[in-house]
Amino acid sequence: MIERIVDAIDIETTLLSKDEEDAKNTAIQYLRSLGFKDVDVVFVEHTGFASRIRLRAYVFRPGDKYAWIFGGDA
Amino acid sequence: MKFVLFPLDPVHDVALKMLNRELLKRGHQTVLLPPDTKMEEVVEICQREIPDFIMVSRTVGYGAAELLARFIDVLDAAGLRKKCKVVVGGKAITKKLAAELGYDAGFGERTSWEEVIAYVEGGKFEGEKVTIRKTKRDITCGYTYEVRDGTFKELLDKITDQILDWAKDRTSPGIERAKIKEKMLEGEHLLEEYLRLCDEVVVSYFRKNVLPKKVRLITEEERKKFERLVREINFDGKILRHGLDKPLVFVQYGTGCPFMDAMHIKVSEAWGADGVLHFDPSWGARCEGLLEGSLAHEEDGSIITLENLKLIKSALSDSTLWCVRAHRGLNTPEIVLLAAHAGADLTKINMVYGSLNGGTDPERLTVDGVYALQLSAKYKLPYDIPTNEELGGVPAHKAFAGMLVVAHLGVKLGARPILKPLFCYSPDVMINDYMKDNYVDYNVAKILALRRIMDAPIWPGEPIGFMTHTEDRVQSAMTTALHAALASSLGLDAITIASTDEAYARGAISVTARIDTLRAIAEAFRFFGHAKIEPTKKAEEYADKILNGIYETLKKVAERQDFVAALYEGLFGTREEGANPGRAGRGTVRKC
Repeated sequence: MIERIVDAIDIETTLLSKDEEDAKNTAIQYLRSLGFKDVDVVFVEHTGFASRIRLRAYVFRPGDKYAWIFGGDA
Repeated sequence: MKFVLFPLDPVHDVALKMLNRELLKRGHQTVLLPPDTKMEEVVEICQREIPDFIMVSRTVGYGAAELLARFIDVLDAAGLRKKCKVVVGGKAITKKLAAELGYDAGFGERTSWEEVIAYVEGGKFEGEKVTIRKTKRDITCGYTYEVRDGTFKELLDKITDQILDWAKDRTSPGIERAKIKEKMLEGEHLLEEYLRLCDEVVVSYFRKNVLPKKVRLITEEERKKFERLVREINFDGKILRHGLDKPLVFVQYGTGCPFMDAMHIKVSEAWGADGVLHFDPSWGARCEGLLEGSLAHEEDGSIITLENLKLIKSALSDSTLWCVRAHRGLNTPEIVLLAAHAGADLTKINMVYGSLNGGTDPERLTVDGVYALQLSAKYKLPYDIPTNEELGGVPAHKAFAGMLVVAHLGVKLGARPILKPLFCYSPDVMINDYMKDNYVDYNVAKILALRRIMDAPIWPGEPIGFMTHTEDRVQSAMTTALHAALASSLGLDAITIASTDEAYARGAISVTARIDTLRAIAEAFRFFGHAKIEPTKKAEEYADKILNGIYETLKKVAERQDFVAALYEGLFGTREEGANPGRAGRGTVRKC
C-alpha cells in the first residue's frame, strides 16, 4: 500500500500524558517503532491529563522519486 | 537595554512587531528590521549597535534549522556571539532546537510576549494563567412555564386533566417496582417482592448468577484502579462559549462500559463540555426490572444500575450537569428514582416519543410516565422532553404537541420540564423541501413557534444537526458547529452535540471524535461571538405553519378526550408518518 500513498500518513489519537512533551515523545517513538523515519507531530493539545495529537509520517516529500508515478517500482 | 529584532523569514514579523511595541513601552531601545533583510546587513547593524539581545524569529518551517544555524555561524564569525545574547522564537521553533543550534533561548508557538519580556529582563514569568471556575447551572431557572396563549392553555389543560384523571386509579409493574425499590433504598429487604415483577433475565441474574449476553461483572480490582486513576486526573476548566452566557454544551455517552464512559466524560469536560447524558442499552427499555452491580456491556448503551451510576458520578467534575435518560421503557419510574439517588441533576421523560418510537406500549408508558413525573417533582430533578419521533418521519408540529402535553403535565405535577426540539434534517423536512435552501429557517421556525406557546427552557438535541452528519470527520464537526452557532444565536439554554462519529455505526464512538466536535464548536462560538445568524422570511412562515399544526393536533387530542387512545390512533403521528405504537408492556396496566 505504501507506494500508493501520495505524500504522508497521519495518525490521530488521544493519549493519556502528563504534558505536551510527554505526548510528543511517546508519539514520535511510536511512529519510529512502526518503521517510519521521516516523522513529526503536526498538532498536539494537552489538557492536564490527555493530549489530542496528530502524528505525521512522510512517505514522500516534494522532490522525491514517487513510487506512484512508476506503478510502485520506485 | 538595546535590542535588534530580525525576522529571519520571507514575510512573517507580527510577533516581533508586538514584542517591539512592548519593549518600547518599557523604555528599551530597539531596531526592528523588515523581513527578508540579508544576514550580512543584520550583522553590520549589530556591529554598529552592539545590542544586548538579538531577537530572531522564524515562522516558516522549511529550512528553518539550516538558516538559523547559518545565522549563528555568521554572528560568531563577526565576533557578535560573545557580545550579544541571541534569542530565537516563532512557530518553527522549539526550545530543544534553539539549544541544539546554540541560541541562548528559544520560544515556540503559543509563547506570550510577557514570557519573552520576563526572560530578557531577568524576571520570573509567572504566567498569565487564568483559573476558570465552572459552576453548575439550573437550566430551568427564571422560566415561569406560563402558557402564553389562552387557546393553547385551554387545550393543554383539558388534555392533561384527562390524563391525570385516567392515571389516578391505574398502576403497572414499573410503578410497583419503583415503590418497592424506594423502600429497598431505605434499607428494607424486599428483593423477592421486586423479582416477582421482573422478567426472567433479571430473575436469573439475581437467583442463579446468570449474566445477560455480552454483559460482564466489573471486578473490585478494576474498580479500585479506576478510582485511583480518576482521582489523579486534573485539568483546568474550559468554557466553550467565548463570553456568551448560553448555550450549555452537553455530550451523550453510553459506550457500554462505565470505565470507558468515565474516561470519555473526563476528556469531554477537559475540552469544555458542561454536561453529559447517560444512554442505556435499548434492550434495557424492553425488560421488566433492573439489574444490580457494576456491569460492563459489550455493545452500545451503558446498563443502568445504581452501582454503575454511582461509579460514573464519582468521576464527574462538580460543575458537570448529569442527565440520566429514563423516558422510553418499562423501567421509567425506577430509573428516575435511581438517577435521583445517584445524584443526577436531570432526567429525561417523554411518553409520547417513548411509546411511538421507543417501543413501549402507549397505555403502559402513560401511566408510568405520570408516576415518573411525580418522582421527578419529588426529587427535584428537572426533565427534558426529547422529540426524536421526528427522525422516524413524524412532522415537527405533532412531535411538539406531544412535548407540550408532557411539559404541561409535568408542571401540573410540580416538576420542571425542558423543551427539547430537534435541530435536524428530518424525513418530513426532506419530503416537504423545508431545507432546500438552508438548514437555518426551519430550525429557527421551531424555536419561534415554541416560544410563542410556552415560557420554558429550550435545549435542542439529540444531537443537534441530526441527519446532516456524514462519516467524514471535518464535515461532521463542521455541521455540528454550525448548528451550535445557530443555537447560540437564538439564545437557547443548552445543546446536545454529536461526536464526529455520529454517522459511523460500525463501532464505538472514539474519544478523539468527541474532542474534535468540541473544538469545532469552540471555534464556531469564537467566530460568531455576539453576532447573530439571520434567517430569511421563510422562518416566520414556517413558524406559523408549525404553530397552526400544533394547535390542530392538540385540538384533535382534546376532542378525543382520551390521551392514550390518541396515541394508538395516530393523532400524535400516524404509522405512515413513522409513528408505531410500541408493544412492550402491553396489557400490564391494571386498576388499583
